[in-house]
Amino acid sequence: MHSIQLKKDSTFIQNLESVIEKEGSFSNWELFSAAYEAELTTITPTFKGLRALEYLPHVEFLDHQISAAEQAIESMHGRAILADEVGLGKTIEAGLILKEYMVRGLVKNALILVPASLVSQWVRELNEKFYIPAVAHRKNYNWNQNVIISSLDTAKRPPHRENILEIEYDFILIDEAHKLKNHKTKNYEFVRALKKKYCLLLTATPVQNRLIEIFNLISILKPGHLGNYDSFLENYGKDRKNIKQDAYLKQLIQKVMIRNTRQNTELNNTKRNIETVWVEFTEEERSAYQSLETATGPFSSFSKITYLRELCSSREACYLSLKKVMDENKQEKILQPIVDQIGQLPHHAKAQRVVELMKKIGDEKVIIFTEYRASQLYLQWILQQHGIKSVPFRGGFKRSKKDWMKQLFENHVQVLIATEAGGEGINLQFCSHLINYDLPWNPMRLEQRIGRIHRYGQNKDVHIYNFAIRDTIEEHIMTLLYEKINLFEQVIGNLDAILAELNIGSMETELETIYAESTSVGEVKIKLDNLTSIIRHSLTNNEEENYGYS
Amino acid sequence: MAIANLNQFLHDYFSFHHCEIIENNDGVLRVQLTEEMDRALMNRPFYWHYVKKMGNKGEPMKLTLITNPNKREEEKGEWIHFGSPRLHQLINHLKENEKYTKLFQKINVTHNTALYPWLVVNIKVSYKGKYKKDEVISIGLHLVNGKMRLEMMDHLKEIPLQSTISDYCYTISPLIKLQSGYLRIEKVISNYIENQEHTWAEESLHALNEELNTLRHFYHADDNEEQMNKEIEEIKERYQPVISFEVINGGIFYLAES
Repeated sequence: MHSIQLKKDSTFIQNLESVIEKEGSFSNWELFSAAYEAELTTITPTFKGLRALEYLPHVEFLDHQISAAEQAIESMHGRAILADEVGLGKTIEAGLILKEYMVRGLVKNALILVPASLVSQWVRELNEKFYIPAVAHRKNYNWNQNVIISSLDTAKRPPHRENILEIEYDFILIDEAHKLKNHKTKNYEFVRALKKKYCLLLTATPVQNRLIEIFNLISILKPGHLGNYDSFLENYGKDRKNIKQDAYLKQLIQKVMIRNTRQNTELNNTKRNIETVWVEFTEEERSAYQSLETATGPFSSFSKITYLRELCSSREACYLSLKKVMDENKQEKILQPIVDQIGQLPHHAKAQRVVELMKKIGDEKVIIFTEYRASQLYLQWILQQHGIKSVPFRGGFKRSKKDWMKQLFENHVQVLIATEAGGEGINLQFCSHLINYDLPWNPMRLEQRIGRIHRYGQNKDVHIYNFAIRDTIEEHIMTLLYEKINLFEQVIGNLDAILAELNIGSMETELETIYAESTSVGEVKIKLDNLTSIIRHSLTNNEEENYGYS
Repeated sequence: MAIANLNQFLHDYFSFHHCEIIENNDGVLRVQLTEEMDRALMNRPFYWHYVKKMGNKGEPMKLTLITNPNKREEEKGEWIHFGSPRLHQLINHLKENEKYTKLFQKINVTHNTALYPWLVVNIKVSYKGKYKKDEVISIGLHLVNGKMRLEMMDHLKEIPLQSTISDYCYTISPLIKLQSGYLRIEKVISNYIENQEHTWAEESLHALNEELNTLRHFYHADDNEEQMNKEIEEIKERYQPVISFEVINGGIFYLAES
């Protein structure tokens, strides 16, 4: 008992005396007892359990989200890494945890640091879903608001930095926390210096490359939990595979990290149906494609790959690029016939196939992804011709325009045509059909695209249609790359890490190099084959490291 | 008794604040606010500022509060549930404004009757360590003979009370001063707390020490003392067991001897 602090209420009785003395205003019995009842309603009578659930009857939480929140509060005491795979609702878990602390009166002020592009989305989610009165930081705002949301980049700069470091926060949350994996960065140093009680770090990729990254993240929450820097390096080295091998290390990590994967959650219930849609070029199209393929113009072989990919997407995309080259090189004569040839093409086989598919799908919502803006416009036009309404979506839109387009899509039009998934941003669970009109050469982008609709909140099976044109560059990518490493079937969360391990900085560049440096289609095929087999090899060796969940 | 029926609670809340109930049907409550309640709840100081400046009366708003979730679709209004911001606004409004009272037992008598003073205090006790829980204690103290009564609010609920003294009644002056009466109540609560088993606090202290040891493991002999001290403070802040009392509300009640 002697080690428990006791805090008494020293003001009440004096205030009561002075009210009586002044014959001040007294409550009547009804209101007096209503206030008492109100207090009984808002207290938390037990140490454990989530009181916040009663406060949020309009949110349907998934089991793994509730247990993640319980675990973070009850066994991790409010300092945890939430490392669920993309799309399982880390934000929901974090909101629930914060709400619980607020309901219990343990958190009064909180600082939430998220990427700049996500600030308004966080504000909205916390306000609408959780009734947490969070505000975005604005110029000249005081940082000592109740719940304030800002980007890490703003917060760490003067004069904000100094102000923030003065304040003792009850709760700090950092989204996309893998940005803190390096302990020598400004970000890291800033976050370590924050005064905090509870702290959540959110990331889908807690260990991207090196094992020391997890050490650095954990040292923000619980310094010493994994020893100190030197002893950690000495014991475990740098290889992230050690997580799997060392049971003790894994156990330690599980004490501060929660990781749900699609495989261990009920989200697995909604399936992905993948369908490859093969399209044949018409005669005219094929001959234009071949002329371009064999042409030698004033452009690098890298650029030519781009033009070929564009032609597989739409006449417009390719035409515009070639036109630009010609404008820049006035004497250029070789391209003119090809440009004319493309200009005369009546349609595009792939777009017409989209129209056919749309008729088959009926009146369900469909999202179409293309790599090119020209194709986006063209698709919008051709759908319009067939009485199908659509809205465009681009990464460059302002937040408000994005929201508006999303609203239109949800309530008024059947199709959304997007050029960019934007690793973050719109969630479109109300839609379950996705057309990959052309495939990105970066597999992570593909996963982000699918993640827009196949995520927490989706209650239908998801249909993915991948378009590719026979006997073109698209066929190679489809059959030699994507289908071989089974990319469509499953989420490969750690593909990033695998590529890094293989020393492949960007898949896109790697592919372009293969094409540019090969002299024949045969050579391309062999090289692609080699690439896929090494990726597959790493994947099987490296299956989802199930660290972090029990 | 905590709030069990939200519709009833809202109905009572607004009628006690003299707002007209326009309609109350199947979990949909429509009320006409008074100017005072509009000012307290609707957060539109500029409206009232200008209306008054122009010498107008102003028009308080109406509220539609839906407690029946099945009516949410068909009716336009605010859905009130235990987490809704409006409910918490009302609750906070109550907690802030209804702290002090002085009440008299209402009795019909034709001969002189004495009413005895009671100090009634409702206290919230919070236990905070690794986790937190609260407990509410309602105590009454007879300010003449020093008798104490627990669960005082439940007892008071059975007695008709009013803000003015009934005819033929007179009050007895307290022998125990308010301050010392309050100290007696505090003492009782302290005893109650001391006699409890505090396993929760032991567990918290255990976790506290464990984390402090872990932390020391992280730092080399003398590097970065400032950072380490900051982190030690954070750990203490998070685990140090604390018990606090806070008075919810209280006042003087003049009651007849039963």
